[in-house]
Amino acid sequence: MSAKRLAELAVLTAVSLIIFIIELQIPNPFPIPGIKLGLANIITVYAVYHYKPYEVVLIVAVRLLLGSIFSGNISALLYSTSGSALCLIGMLLLRRVIAESHLWLASVFGALLHNTGQLLAAMLLLQTTGLIAYYPFLVVSGCLAGAFTGLCAQLIIPRLRNIHLKK
Amino acid sequence: MKQRVLIAVAAAIFAAGIVGCLLLLFAPSDHNKVLIRRDGEVLYSLDLSKETNRTFVIPYGGSSNTIEIRDGRIRVLEAECPDKVCVRTGWLSSSAIPIVCLPNHLEISFASGNDDIDAVAE
Repeated sequence: MSAKRLAELAVLTAVSLIIFIIELQIPNPFPIPGIKLGLANIITVYAVYHYKPYEVVLIVAVRLLLGSIFSGNISALLYSTSGSALCLIGMLLLRRVIAESHLWLASVFGALLHNTGQLLAAMLLLQTTGLIAYYPFLVVSGCLAGAFTGLCAQLIIPRLRNIHLKK
Repeated sequence: MKQRVLIAVAAAIFAAGIVGCLLLLFAPSDHNKVLIRRDGEVLYSLDLSKETNRTFVIPYGGSSNTIEIRDGRIRVLEAECPDKVCVRTGWLSSSAIPIVCLPNHLEISFASGNDDIDAVAE
């Protein structure tokens, strides 16, 4: 990996981490674990469409680790990691089917998969099936939040071209 | 073409999610048996109709949850966790939706028919 490439990945990771930290300051009105906007995933969906799979995994893995340390919520790392793993696998596959002009759609499926992975991890850890009751709420919020972050990413793409982040 | 199919799939999932939410929100509890569980293990088995008003603390490692029982209802009054989701859930009302504190691995739910209440001593 060239130094330029490494620097690009580092910048994207830093930006997504900053977005993640800022989002933590926004009070969440929904008393259901797992419901959030996930604005940091604007960077994730952008990276999925512009970088190699292992580079995307690097960005997300570092974001998750540093995010959980900075937020002081280490226990959330397990849920977010399993959610992100499922989300990345799904989106990297969907990239072959969904064009970049429909980024929001890939983002919706990514969010759905993320919430699914999170819930499965929580159900395994707490050894309860009762949590499945949260799934419909996570599905609805995942669709809305995924579409929103996807549309944000679509707005960002032409602007990133202008600042020559990509050569 | 595949994209249109996927958009339809996403729309169908979204619609199913909304229907599911509505069904769950209007699933009232039909009994008073409440279980407080951690990692699948039952910590407390309570009958809300017989409980007096009280609060008690359930410790977990360095943190804890304070549970309040009042007028036959139960909620998490305070929690030493980062997100306070369990506190903001409020009173346990739906038979389908438990109160959950993920950081402290705590789950409070109405007992379903499968949960053998009598086998559990507090």
